[in-house]
Amino acid sequence: MPDNFLKRRDIGKLIASVRDAGGRFVAPALAARQAVYKDISSAEELDDDYILPRNSYKELVFPQTEVIADFTIGKDGVGLKGRDVTGRDTVVFGARPCEAASLESLRSVFTWGFIDEFCTKREDRLVVITIACTKADGACFCTTVDLSPKSVTGSDVALSETDAGDYLVHSVSEKGKAFIAKHSDVFKAKPSADAVVKPIIMPERIKGVDLEKIKKFLSDTAHYENPVWPELTRKCIGCGACTYVCPTCHCFDITDEATAYGGKTPFEGERRKNWDACQFDNFTLHASGHNPRDTQFKRWRNRFMCKFNYYPKKFSSKGCVGCGRCIRVCPVRLDITEVMEAISKRP
Amino acid sequence: MENALRKKAKELLEKGEVKVVIGFGWNRDKTFTTPVFITKPEDAERLVWNPLCVNNLSVYLTRKFKDIQALGRPAIVAKGCDIRNILVLISEGQLKREDVFIIGVTCNGVVYRQELRKGELKPEIMPTKCHNCDVRNPHATDFVVGDKSDFKPPESPTGMVFNKIKEIDSKEATGRWDFWVNEFSRCIKCYACRQVCSLCYCERCITEKNMPQWIETSAHPRGNLSWNLTRAMHLVGRCTFCGECERACPVNIPLNVINQKMITVVKDAFDYKSGYDEKTHPPMIVFSPDDKDDFIK
Repeated sequence: MPDNFLKRRDIGKLIASVRDAGGRFVAPALAARQAVYKDISSAEELDDDYILPRNSYKELVFPQTEVIADFTIGKDGVGLKGRDVTGRDTVVFGARPCEAASLESLRSVFTWGFIDEFCTKREDRLVVITIACTKADGACFCTTVDLSPKSVTGSDVALSETDAGDYLVHSVSEKGKAFIAKHSDVFKAKPSADAVVKPIIMPERIKGVDLEKIKKFLSDTAHYENPVWPELTRKCIGCGACTYVCPTCHCFDITDEATAYGGKTPFEGERRKNWDACQFDNFTLHASGHNPRDTQFKRWRNRFMCKFNYYPKKFSSKGCVGCGRCIRVCPVRLDITEVMEAISKRP
Repeated sequence: MENALRKKAKELLEKGEVKVVIGFGWNRDKTFTTPVFITKPEDAERLVWNPLCVNNLSVYLTRKFKDIQALGRPAIVAKGCDIRNILVLISEGQLKREDVFIIGVTCNGVVYRQELRKGELKPEIMPTKCHNCDVRNPHATDFVVGDKSDFKPPESPTGMVFNKIKEIDSKEATGRWDFWVNEFSRCIKCYACRQVCSLCYCERCITEKNMPQWIETSAHPRGNLSWNLTRAMHLVGRCTFCGECERACPVNIPLNVINQKMITVVKDAFDYKSGYDEKTHPPMIVFSPDDKDDFIK
């Protein structure tokens, strides 16, 4: 049973009240002919026709680039002053259930041993509103990784669309309940009696994929040098597109950049935390010149291991949520599910 | 046509003339084509050829792919536009002509992005390069598959990219600057444009030279601008307008527009178009007393 009801025409009101309180309202909107998560100010900006935005909303808790400290180089040495992050009330509206399940993985990494406040403080102030999928494409494979368009993991408020374009509202978390209570003027108490929910589209489970078998194959170190890796991934060109659109990929690099512009001196600069990708050939390049992952298939194997072996084992969270973004953006259509299938078939 | 292609590939592998055939195959659902590397004669059946074969496979001939080179002499399935890139690689000393067996395919155009195709190939889903193609009958081949095309490209180039260039050229300098700053602002620094490009073959790209860091790795407007402009400049006189960078871009930056603009500038200044003749060097790496030099005012 839904808890509440949200009229499509009231979304504008919701956006306004979130923004009036100083928050951000992020939702799928068009940019350069495709749906992306954007900070929007009116309901007209919403894209009605999206399956899944091109980018992941992980950038709301883990921005692509951010300043973590400022430095100055003086006669007496280098001065470093860290920056604090407070986060900002943010609502992401219209996220998909697959992606919502990824936040748990990000949190596991960013709180593992050291609490990375740049991530946690933002996540604390993030409200995730998912909408169950009424559309899918050939790249969607959530059901193959044991999720579904009906999943609510990681979601604070889960919506299902009605034929009239309105939404039945299910509050999932405490954060979600508080959000609904705060905006009770738009979240109506009862749905209209004639509200019919649109059919949910379930991507077909890929028959040849067996997650247990994959885990077993990957856990066996004898398979590390298996010729299957170069065979399956030879076509990988080594760009970072898959990792950058992936909702669970979390690698970053720390870099110091001079900011000799805007009136600053060449002796001032910023320490930045930027996304990095295990697919780049200098990702594990050591100062000695040695690179333990010196060819592309080893880098690809690492990404696969990370998703289906290392992280599920370490955190028992999902390394892959089946959103299919990596498949859609890959310039050579290296389909991760085809690799999953091939590995499942190995003895 | 596919049969002739498979037959040739099989024969080359059986005779040992080549060790690998780099071509196109289907994905699992036969909805997309994807690069395949055929090393056994019996696997030649996997090769396909159709308008979804958009990739420029010449990237796999570059030194970035050491494990592919280790397989031995390759044959490559290449459209005329892909062959242009192979010829640039040869002219820049990256490859010897005899190092590769070129299976040219005659082409009636490909789709701009594979997902756009719904059944048939319509002109509106073809990239600008196909509308103006003068290499539908592939040049510099060792073997040709397919019937001769009698397509004649229009006298003056047409298509979306050229229209966009006209539109941008008509703006004031500040308007042009704003246009590009806005487009580049979406860049996520995934370097798909570079990785998919067969002419971006440096093993260490300038962005990876970090002592000092010449190009900022941050995806902020300044870092994005310096990356995209640097790449554009490094392709001047070399880029063949194969369109792979724009196709690969996950955020739809119109890289074809900047690259075609550069091609037009080079054509006007040096009367040179890359990729037609492996013996002529690109203008930016040779000095000629006949250069017009009229940019020096």
